[in-house]
Amino acid sequence: MTDFLHLLHHELLLSLVIVCMLILKLADRGRSGSSWSNLLNVLLLINFAGGLLIEAEGSLFDGMFRSNALLHFEKNVLSLGLLLVGLLATPYLRNHKHSAEFHILIASTLLGMFFMLSAGHMLLFYVGLELATIPLAALAAFNLNRGESSEAGAKLILSSAFSSAFLLLGISFVYGTCGSLQFEQIALTVSGNPLQLLAFTLVFTGFAFKLSIVPFHFWTADVYQGAPIPVAAYLSVISKAAVTLVFISVLYSVFGALQATWTPYLLITALLTIITGNLFAMRQDNIKRFLAFSSIAQVGFILTGILGANVDSEGIVLYFLLIYLFSNLAAFGVAGLISAATGKESILDYRGLHASNPRLAWTLTIALFSLAGVPPTAGFFGKLFLLTSGASLGNYLFIGIAALNMVVSMYYYLRIVKAMFMETTAQPIGKIPTGVAPAIALALCIAGILVSGLSGSFYEHIHLLTLSY
Amino acid sequence: MMDPSLIAFYAISAFILVTGFMTVISTRLFRSAIYLLFSLIGIAGLYFLLEVEFAAAVQIIVYVGGIVVLIIFSIFLTNQGGASMPFPHLIRRNVGAAAAMAGAAVVGTLAAAYEWHPFPITFDTSMSRIGHMLVGTGEGSLVLPFELVSVLLLAAMIGCIVIAMKSRHEEK
Repeated sequence: MTDFLHLLHHELLLSLVIVCMLILKLADRGRSGSSWSNLLNVLLLINFAGGLLIEAEGSLFDGMFRSNALLHFEKNVLSLGLLLVGLLATPYLRNHKHSAEFHILIASTLLGMFFMLSAGHMLLFYVGLELATIPLAALAAFNLNRGESSEAGAKLILSSAFSSAFLLLGISFVYGTCGSLQFEQIALTVSGNPLQLLAFTLVFTGFAFKLSIVPFHFWTADVYQGAPIPVAAYLSVISKAAVTLVFISVLYSVFGALQATWTPYLLITALLTIITGNLFAMRQDNIKRFLAFSSIAQVGFILTGILGANVDSEGIVLYFLLIYLFSNLAAFGVAGLISAATGKESILDYRGLHASNPRLAWTLTIALFSLAGVPPTAGFFGKLFLLTSGASLGNYLFIGIAALNMVVSMYYYLRIVKAMFMETTAQPIGKIPTGVAPAIALALCIAGILVSGLSGSFYEHIHLLTLSY
Repeated sequence: MMDPSLIAFYAISAFILVTGFMTVISTRLFRSAIYLLFSLIGIAGLYFLLEVEFAAAVQIIVYVGGIVVLIIFSIFLTNQGGASMPFPHLIRRNVGAAAAMAGAAVVGTLAAAYEWHPFPITFDTSMSRIGHMLVGTGEGSLVLPFELVSVLLLAAMIGCIVIAMKSRHEEK
């Protein structure tokens, strides 16, 4: 029984938080939007803090649910991300009728991700994945009176249904050829016959949709543009990080025997993803579309890191995901504050932001520097490690192209910095009230970017964790 | 002389495929929904043939009785029940058909070339066994995904309510 409580403590705590939110909503007596946000953010803080308390290793339900220190760490990172998104969402939710439902839905997707991460069985993995995506479609349509937002919701649910179909067909072929849905059993029986390669290709396609890997990225920009900014931030950071981590464990441990197959897959898609993401990011004027394509390009770099498949790769990717979480949430956070206060979402509107809002401008600059990989921000080390991991296979031409693309990406990240600091406009954005909660979140993000870049202990901790599992 | 169950299998499969195809090519939404109904009944027939009566019953109750009725309701809500959808462009139709056939050819060839061998697993499809697997905690039990699905249903309901409440607020 204590075993059960220890291993499942993240999931149980989060379920409890969801139930508390539901009961609070039902017992509601006309609470205002901002007091809802504060109350629910406290619950998310409890969820994050509670997750840190216990560490246990083992498996439950006949190997269906596994847990260890590494998985606990990953879940803590995701809980922190949810807390940051919750804090950043306060200005957006201030005037929204359904702020409690927003938190319930977003917390239940996190629960899905937790189960997906800990799954040792295809069935639990699949149910977790669906729980992690279906409520997000409702969240993408949360701007209830905007057609754009409904379009985003519809596109997200259709593309996720489409990718689930690929994934399910792949899983059913895996079951037909391996005779089991347990990850351990599949890993033992996968031999790489043509039908299993087809099955793997289908599973890979399913993941490619969820991670918006080129050529399966078409939904990304439209969904990010139509969805409320906190939801777009959550989609691009937390949901992507969770799927990436599961993708790594599926590639390395379940389909480890097929490495000769997935190495070229990863190589080609990584190259396509980086180049396409960069080329499209250059010509975007809307900040959300811009961040969507920039996040596609970042996924390409993550794939480069996964490609390495040596002892360090998983730690490197996890480290990068942590930095990416801080950087991208800071960028989305600033964009969200500006959008909530003025409704402006075009990069041209950011001209002269430094004069009126120096703090926001500097925050966005540090975040963009980290995304671009400029030292001494953590993004530089993250990208460097990813490329080193990819280079361990010896394909230096590919790594050269990826590195060149890093230079290209500097151009479009710095374009925004230039607009904020060096350009002026007749109608600049006025002074924007930040509010306490978003300010805390942005400060945490900036601290995360700088500390994880300047101090090596972060990376060392992650590295040691991944080495032991 | 062919095995009668094999004849039944091919007959049911042909039925499923033909009605499924009609679902896709019919230009009237309502007719598509009815063809889908027959296709799903065919799948229930396959389950009966495999002697998994529980799955067949669930198939009929959930898909035939629930989902298709829901689809028909939503078609009526759009007030477009009798309307024809625009027929897709010729190029798009041809490309779609070619892609579908290429996919079917790849899957079919690989599946036909594979040396299928039955796994030494015996399925106990009795109701009591299924019940124990769904809510038990023993070997091979599925209580965890079963419980997780309930969270998914709750979240989906809340999401639907939030989206559907929109129209009422706008009327006010």
